[in-house]
Amino acid sequence: MEHFLANLGTGFAVALTPANLGFALTGALIGTLIGVLPGIGPIATIAMLLPLTFHLEPVSGLIMLAGIFYGAQYGGSTSAILVNLPGETSSVVTCIDGHQMARNGRAGAALATAALASFFAGTVATAMIAMLAPPLALVGQSFGAPEYFALMLLGLIAAVVLAHGSVVKAIAMIVLGLLLGLVGTDGQTAAQRFTFDFVKLSDGIEFSVLAIGVFGVGEIIANLTRGGQSRSLLAKRITRLMPTRDEISLAWPAALRGTALGALLGVLPGGGATLSSFGAYVMEKKVARDPSRFGKGAIEGVAGPEAANNAGAQTSFIPMLTLGLPGNAVMALMIGAMMIHGIQPGPQVMTERPTLFWGMVASMWIGNLMLLVINLPLIGIWVQLLKVPYRFLYLAVLLFCAIGVYTISNSTFAVILAAMFGVLGYIFVRLDCEPAPMILGFVLGPLMEDNLRRAMRISGGDPMIFVNRPIALGLLIAAAILLVIVALPSIRSGRERAFQEG
Amino acid sequence: MKRTGWIIAALSCFALGAAASSGSWAQDKFPVKPVKIVVPYGPGGATDIVTRIVAEQMRQSLGQSFVVENKPGAFGIVAIQEMTNARPDGYTLMVGNVSTNAITPVIVPKRLKVNYARDVVPVTNLIDIPAFLVVATNNFAVKDVPGLIAYAKKNPGKLRYGTVGAASYPHYDMAFFAKRAGNLDVVPIHNKQGASGIINDMVTGDVQVAFLNVASTAAQIRAGKLRPIAVVSPTRLPDHPDVPTMKEVGFGDVGTIAWNAMFAPAATPRPVLEALHRAAVAALETGAGKTALTKQGFIIAPSKSLDDARTWLANEIKAWKTITSAVKIETE
Repeated sequence: MEHFLANLGTGFAVALTPANLGFALTGALIGTLIGVLPGIGPIATIAMLLPLTFHLEPVSGLIMLAGIFYGAQYGGSTSAILVNLPGETSSVVTCIDGHQMARNGRAGAALATAALASFFAGTVATAMIAMLAPPLALVGQSFGAPEYFALMLLGLIAAVVLAHGSVVKAIAMIVLGLLLGLVGTDGQTAAQRFTFDFVKLSDGIEFSVLAIGVFGVGEIIANLTRGGQSRSLLAKRITRLMPTRDEISLAWPAALRGTALGALLGVLPGGGATLSSFGAYVMEKKVARDPSRFGKGAIEGVAGPEAANNAGAQTSFIPMLTLGLPGNAVMALMIGAMMIHGIQPGPQVMTERPTLFWGMVASMWIGNLMLLVINLPLIGIWVQLLKVPYRFLYLAVLLFCAIGVYTISNSTFAVILAAMFGVLGYIFVRLDCEPAPMILGFVLGPLMEDNLRRAMRISGGDPMIFVNRPIALGLLIAAAILLVIVALPSIRSGRERAFQEG
Repeated sequence: MKRTGWIIAALSCFALGAAASSGSWAQDKFPVKPVKIVVPYGPGGATDIVTRIVAEQMRQSLGQSFVVENKPGAFGIVAIQEMTNARPDGYTLMVGNVSTNAITPVIVPKRLKVNYARDVVPVTNLIDIPAFLVVATNNFAVKDVPGLIAYAKKNPGKLRYGTVGAASYPHYDMAFFAKRAGNLDVVPIHNKQGASGIINDMVTGDVQVAFLNVASTAAQIRAGKLRPIAVVSPTRLPDHPDVPTMKEVGFGDVGTIAWNAMFAPAATPRPVLEALHRAAVAALETGAGKTALTKQGFIIAPSKSLDDARTWLANEIKAWKTITSAVKIETE
């Protein structure tokens, strides 16, 4: 413990220099901005700023880049709550209840909950990095293709719980998501699937194109067709900006659970971070006394997932810092930023460069604190934005959507595709179909397929590989139990209505 | 009203003069406006980072912005077509790698709407990325190339190798190696997550062998999780003097030294190409650019001249035609 405090002391000494505080603030501000804007993500921003960091001290450069990454997690929830626009996979579920809260006049409370839950999760996850980084990294390394497949299967079954309408519709949406995820080049054979000879489809459909189309554009079309008074996003008057006592007592246990789940799944590369916010939402709905509140503005549906995605963002640094293995594209860029300064990321960074390692860990906590300080006063301003007449607001949102989608791959084709998904999103609204399970199917489907086929190749076609590996077997058993829980009410009563509680 | 007439006359004189001068500038001075460099991958990958480093140095030496534009998609086809559709005036360039600019034109020429050999010219090679043939140490005792071949012969269908996808160069490399080593029966395991995904598969013991670039394996080699048994490079690496080259172990024609190179539309005027070549080579060899690139494990490898670059690309294409006809991988 003493050793641990000494290390943290070293870290804070580095992170609290005026220059490094400035870099953390710059990163947090840039991150918040790009998080709010749809489509423009942390990957592109960090790639563009990378050459700037050549001239900085290594630790300063890393502090700024890390700030952009987790700043984007805070910013992403803002557009999700205010205008139903998920910029990143992690903010898709925040749309469900966060935007409903905004419609009920509780936008301020939703934004404050998101910021506070994220800060809490960030604090806990940073402490976890400091104390448990090496053992947690080993968890990630024990995951091979069979384990990932089992985890994704568990996630997909859990997706049914995401919907608050009929289970049949939720399953249909998941399958539609799986089908959309098939588009592109098959990684195992390089065959073209559902590309209809469009070269631009050969890398598949971009996540943001689908999400911005179905959620953002679809929502705008639906609002415009409602006409008259209800066009305003503010169906009710804004009450107070901060959460009420009742809301806080519901939100904090949710944030606690979300943090635990997010911190654990964040360590896994690939789909881990995505699963954490979806998983947290499912968990909240399951433990809630009255699950029917979900989808209508339940505060736990904001607190849990927001805590989970920020905790996951922080702990995704663990495999990079301790093993030199990047879990996602942002971490790969961080490795690039280190190598430019001649630092080889790996197990030796902690011992050979303690000021760099601990300085970064300390700065993450400071950066999270800064984000809270930036975000809380901003809430008042964001909420004012909702008072803008909808006929102006929707034009601005549409414009940002178009710019955001275009910049992902500098392609007008993507913009047209997003517009088409917008129409689809409107059809979903009319048919009462939830888009969130579709998005989860879209994200997890290709990963699941890839890992299943890889696992079967590794075993030479023997399905026993899923039974012989303890972690995979455990996850599959958990998936089976969850399936029974989801199906049980219908088996007992055989009535469609019983599904709705699932 | 007379005054307006004067103003218009004055303005048009000025505009004419400006136009005339810019016309003559364009003849002997390049560039006079920002240059666009198309990159066939999204931001953040190796090709993107190399391009941004080179672009920054060229901006400083030529005094115009070099704007990097990411046009990912379809193994580089989107980017190649973006460049060849632009006016061949030197203001639209491309930086690609061995996959997009040597393998794609060989394996899917039909999907390219241009005649690659006729419409695209290299300006210069930029950097080389040496690769290791690495084996896992988790539950795997092979320590050298002859040992690997012996293991594969004794255990047909049991040796699994990592690649980043079907018909990617690591796939061709190992398939070609297996063929040259005596038609070994080995199994490819494709991992879309790239080098880090393959390394994870090797650490868990699911995959035993792979060609991986030197920089991404360094941490795991130091940690003892991976063992390099040969290097794809003309000479041994100073940091790993014990690791023999592929040539030394008898497979001089196997393995890819991945590269990044700059390309332009073939109809670009020769003086403009010359100017670009000089500036790009200078960007690689000057202080900041050189430091940034070598620290990341890239080897600075500029072409000596435009003609040298053409010969080099022709040889690369020829080599890939040989490999892809020796090892058939269905891609459609």
